[in-house]
Amino acid sequence: MTKRVELGDFVEAFIGEAEDLLRTLSAKLLATEADLRAGRQNPRAVRDAFRATHTLKGLAAMVGVEPIVAIAHRMESLLRAADDAGGTTTLPAMDLLLRGARELDRRLESVANGKPAQPPPAELIEGLDALDRPEAQRDRGTATRLELDPSIAAKLGALEHEQIARAIADGRRVVRADFTPSPARSEAGLNITSVRERLSRVAEIVKVVPRSVPASEDAPGGLSFALILVPTGTDEEVADAAGVASNELLTLSGGEGARAEPDMPGALPLDAFDEDEEGGRTQRANVVRVEVSRLDDAMERLSALVVARFRMAKAVAQLVERGVDVREVSALLAENGRQLRDMRAAILRVRMVPVAEILERIPLLVRGLRRATGKHVKVMMDAGRAELDKAVAERLFPAIVHLVRNAVDHAIESPDERRAAGKPEEGTLTISCFERSSTQLELTVADDGAGIDRERIAARAGVPVPESDAALLAMLCRPGLSTRAEATTTSGRGMGMDIVKRIAVDELGGEMQLRTRAGHGSAFTLRVPLTISIVESFTFEAGGQRFVVPVSTVEEILELDRTRAVRGPAPDRRERVSLVERRGEVVPVLDLEALFSLPRADPPPGKALLVRRGGEPIAFAVDRMLGQQEVVLRPLEDPLVKRVGIAGATDLGDGRPTLVLDLAALGGAALAGATTEPVG
Amino acid sequence: MAEVLVVDDSKVMREMIVACLRAHPGLSFTHAASGLEAIERLSLRKFDLVLLDLNMPDIGGIEVVEFIRSQDKLRTLPIIVITTRGDEASRGRALGAGANRFMTKPFTPDALIAEVRGVLDGAVRAPT
Repeated sequence: MTKRVELGDFVEAFIGEAEDLLRTLSAKLLATEADLRAGRQNPRAVRDAFRATHTLKGLAAMVGVEPIVAIAHRMESLLRAADDAGGTTTLPAMDLLLRGARELDRRLESVANGKPAQPPPAELIEGLDALDRPEAQRDRGTATRLELDPSIAAKLGALEHEQIARAIADGRRVVRADFTPSPARSEAGLNITSVRERLSRVAEIVKVVPRSVPASEDAPGGLSFALILVPTGTDEEVADAAGVASNELLTLSGGEGARAEPDMPGALPLDAFDEDEEGGRTQRANVVRVEVSRLDDAMERLSALVVARFRMAKAVAQLVERGVDVREVSALLAENGRQLRDMRAAILRVRMVPVAEILERIPLLVRGLRRATGKHVKVMMDAGRAELDKAVAERLFPAIVHLVRNAVDHAIESPDERRAAGKPEEGTLTISCFERSSTQLELTVADDGAGIDRERIAARAGVPVPESDAALLAMLCRPGLSTRAEATTTSGRGMGMDIVKRIAVDELGGEMQLRTRAGHGSAFTLRVPLTISIVESFTFEAGGQRFVVPVSTVEEILELDRTRAVRGPAPDRRERVSLVERRGEVVPVLDLEALFSLPRADPPPGKALLVRRGGEPIAFAVDRMLGQQEVVLRPLEDPLVKRVGIAGATDLGDGRPTLVLDLAALGGAALAGATTEPVG
Repeated sequence: MAEVLVVDDSKVMREMIVACLRAHPGLSFTHAASGLEAIERLSLRKFDLVLLDLNMPDIGGIEVVEFIRSQDKLRTLPIIVITTRGDEASRGRALGAGANRFMTKPFTPDALIAEVRGVLDGAVRAPT
């Protein structure tokens, strides 16, 4: 019988694509909402939102995430009705749909974290169902004056008519270009997909209609596409993008026969937001989605190359000792070293994601907060072209969410208070970031709210009023500090600044800064490294201390039978080394207690970690193995604490630094003076 | 070797469809990410079967079916339309436009293989 395909294997890919779809959905819903507030409909965005929801539903159904299917299904039918009605919708509908998008996001996150998705909230489903009742009013009254082949005109729906009517009302032209596919054009990279992509940069594409044409030398497939366009660029640009001569463009309407004239500079696309999105999609077409583990794999292979180079360098050094002329090889070796460094940088770059993309979810969050608090807030975001390692971005995002929540919930005043203080009713939240250096990103979340009331906070914490902003920040970051008497629905009781600090400072090894001015607002600045190394590690305890060691360096975890160990002699100033026998090999066992001058464990360690240094085994006795987890490795930069055998430090989630050991190097240094010959 | 054109704007969905059909011997797959791309590919090369999503950007699956059926050389090309649950209204439209079979997501690999086998062998079989 046929073997079943496990669709569960696609969960990872599902999450990736579903995240993209949700981003599109949110952006389109927000654009529609903004237009509705401005008294306009946005049929194009409604259709895009509908499509994203539909695709998401289908994917979720395939991988069996029912709550997402249930929510998306209701949203889809609401959006379908709106699309059928020529893209007309209402603010209450947008409201529910945006809530739906948030709920979808929440469930997708659960799935991504390996948890089951929560069932859909009943009132959301009921609300969506209730809105879905009214008849879709079909408004096809927009008669457009187009000189168009009836067979093509028949293919234009309400949405397209509306788009054309809008363009003409705006004094813009509608043109037609024909593209005929052929194997030769296809080989030259000209196909309907690439033509459409190129055209989307210089025109709004209203509709593409495929037409049967007599098969000929020019149209071997018997097919031609009629592209109905509203140019935003010049005719030359449009013709060039479509792969035709500019006199082959047919003006269908508008512009008073201004055929070959470039558009007026003022004739910009109606909806800049939408246009941006189109650009974004074009770019995404060149994007490959790669699992991070594959990049890690590439990095690991690169490490092997680095090791090989190191050995080559050693071999060359030996040649030098023998008096061989190695100038040419040395030059090659140096060149090779540079290439390896470039290669490493190139691989690291692949892991970078645009910060702007990370921040895309913020407007949706703020929107929810606005509704929950009744405050008026607008968000300004400027991430420029800054990029961040995906691993950093994922860790940093919750911290940004905390800061945004605090700003809306605690800092920005209610419209009444703001008016009384002589400020505009609408508060402003600004998120900006830039790459401070080649290794550090600076991100600031600022508000124009009330500023932090240091007297009140000091009173609540029962400490003297902090004088500087830095001291105030330190106080805010104390775990468990609550800043208000009752919990709010959005931020809870406190500000969660301890969490922000733990992420930005303890985990990522960054810095935090606060500037606040009473009545004028506050700005929190985070400086974090652009990249971090994540290492799968064992955590263990020795001498009452916790340590971390990369899994990849540990060959085996041994059970120690101390009664069978033999002691090596005690050389000058050195600890005695005990030896155990393992599969015919004699293995020295080192005590971390001794190496780090820690108190001796009682009872003595029962396990040991076996590593190899230059092929020779070394074991380290440990009291207890605590577990295995991914940790963020932070190199120790400070020369004062730098020491052989310590690869860096990490935070295991408790805010205390834990040393990450390089046991092979540590063992090498410790044994350098010790004798390991067994005695009797 | 039967040439199958898999048309869906979701890459993951196309991959799932191909994975479902791995167990069916003698198929080779070409992907198309949009209705227009599908029409273009069909005009330039011979295919034995089209697996078609209904909801896509540019032009929808129904229009693709209509266009295929309007082309003399494609009049008998088997088309299996695949769409999402809850869109049963499209079923009538798709079959009316000339699709041979209609499947609803989510589907199991076995169900898809059965449909493909049925269509490729020209056998008429009851839906599972």
